Amino acid sequence: MKKNLDFLMTGYARLCAVAVFLATSLLLGFLIKRGLSSVDLKLFFGDTHWLSAITGTQPVFEGIWPAVVGTLFLVLLSSAISIPTGVASGVYLSEYASGRVRSFLGFAVDVLSGTPSIVMGLFGFTMILFLRNTLLPQARPSLFLAAVCIALLILPYVIRTTQTALEAIPEHLRLLGPSLGLSHWHNIRYLLVPLAGRGILSGVILAIGRAAEDTAVILLTGVVARAGLPASLWDKFEALPFRIYYLAAEHRSQAELDQGFGAALVLLLLTGFLFLAAFFLHAKFEKRWKTH
Amino acid sequence: MENTLAPSSSATVTIRDLSVAFSGKMVLNSVDLALCPGELTVIVGPSGSGKSTLLRAVNRLNECFPGCRTRGEVRIRLDGRWGNVYDDFLPLPELRRKAGMVFQTPGVLPFSIRKNLAMPLKTTLGIAGSVLAERIERALREASLWEEVKDRLDDAATTLSGGQQQRLCLARALALEPQILLLDEPTASLDFRAARKIEQLLTSLKQRYTVLAVSHSLGQTRRLADKVYVLREGVIGQEISGECLQDPKTFEKLIEDAF
Repeated sequence: MKKNLDFLMTGYARLCAVAVFLATSLLLGFLIKRGLSSVDLKLFFGDTHWLSAITGTQPVFEGIWPAVVGTLFLVLLSSAISIPTGVASGVYLSEYASGRVRSFLGFAVDVLSGTPSIVMGLFGFTMILFLRNTLLPQARPSLFLAAVCIALLILPYVIRTTQTALEAIPEHLRLLGPSLGLSHWHNIRYLLVPLAGRGILSGVILAIGRAAEDTAVILLTGVVARAGLPASLWDKFEALPFRIYYLAAEHRSQAELDQGFGAALVLLLLTGFLFLAAFFLHAKFEKRWKTH
Repeated sequence: MENTLAPSSSATVTIRDLSVAFSGKMVLNSVDLALCPGELTVIVGPSGSGKSTLLRAVNRLNECFPGCRTRGEVRIRLDGRWGNVYDDFLPLPELRRKAGMVFQTPGVLPFSIRKNLAMPLKTTLGIAGSVLAERIERALREASLWEEVKDRLDDAATTLSGGQQQRLCLARALALEPQILLLDEPTASLDFRAARKIEQLLTSLKQRYTVLAVSHSLGQTRRLADKVYVLREGVIGQEISGECLQDPKTFEKLIEDAF
């Protein structure tokens, strides 16, 4: 009986793993089949010359280039806000907070992670209205506001993975630093955080993926169709997820829908590139940490 | 034997009425003992009797565990000054450098061999450059490891054998120039040959350091120890020293009685 159960469970686990692989392959295959043919210079730059588009000397009306740049800025800016804040919060929760504070703040993090993105967008929109009526009459939805709201949305991923990765460090490694005379801070800075690096990286990758794909938040906080390249952090912008949504919902021809698939493929490649960048950055830091 | 000791004027460490509890559970109960310079003192006792806790009480490492409560005194004489470590006689990092510790499983850091020694030196003492290189070489020589690793200092420390890793841990502690060595079953996870090498090393190190070690091996204890304390359920049950240690039968009988 036990042997049969073992056999069944092993089979089920294998099946699930294969199903995940198949689902991913199917999704990628479908996107490549539908979108690859439309991935060309025209998809990115429309009728504008690519060099003029990249240097910003001529506006791009039909291509997705402004959306690519907008998404890249959005992800980088929101990551720049959320990753240091999230890692520091995770360190605090794991290494400094008392039991009661940890439960209270942990609950706040859980609430934040459970907040639907549209609510976060609404929050950002309300903030702008509040600022317009009080301190900053010139405030308006912008790349910066969207990045702050996205940062809030992805913050719990970074906090929780940092906290979990730190708490998973075995006791004998935790004791090494103090036993060598390292202060609490030095132990965290030179041993615990680098040791938890891989776990933190997984949170960062999750956060980057979430920041790149979210549409609901940016809909209310600064994204505008055909806005062009953002002139500054305080300007409106375009983003790939919104562009894909717009092309899928409003397409007037098969070619436009295929453009949507092409844009989805580009978004996937962009996030893949960001994941790789995060991975290589971590590998570089890890190598440096281990030898220097 | 009585469970109290008069403070020894020559002692480097005098522990008086030391009790340690974790989350209300008493692990050490009114322990008294004295460690003298140039002597290797070994704590023996059954598992869970509080041996590691006693070791960690000297460098206050128990405080890294939640719910730890310590009562009593651990008086240390360092550089001619006496003080109770629980009265903040020394800042914690300094105390832990002066009382170097080596754990049961080789606690090498996932760094290169060189960085395992360099990181604590740089971080805690700000040592760098040629002084750092000299200090590393001296510590590795003292731990009898220099000849084996001098050409591969940038290799990962985890590529060393278990015995080499444990000697690296010892070198790392020695590099910080401690005055007391706390060794928590340093040969427990090593094979016979590697354990013997560490034993030889300890025999030479005890001339220069005050050593407090925990051991599960009675043979090793007899070979190394100048003084043995038997710990049972958090209480020092017996002190064995002198001739009793030389005679294997007497020693065995005493230990059996104490257990």
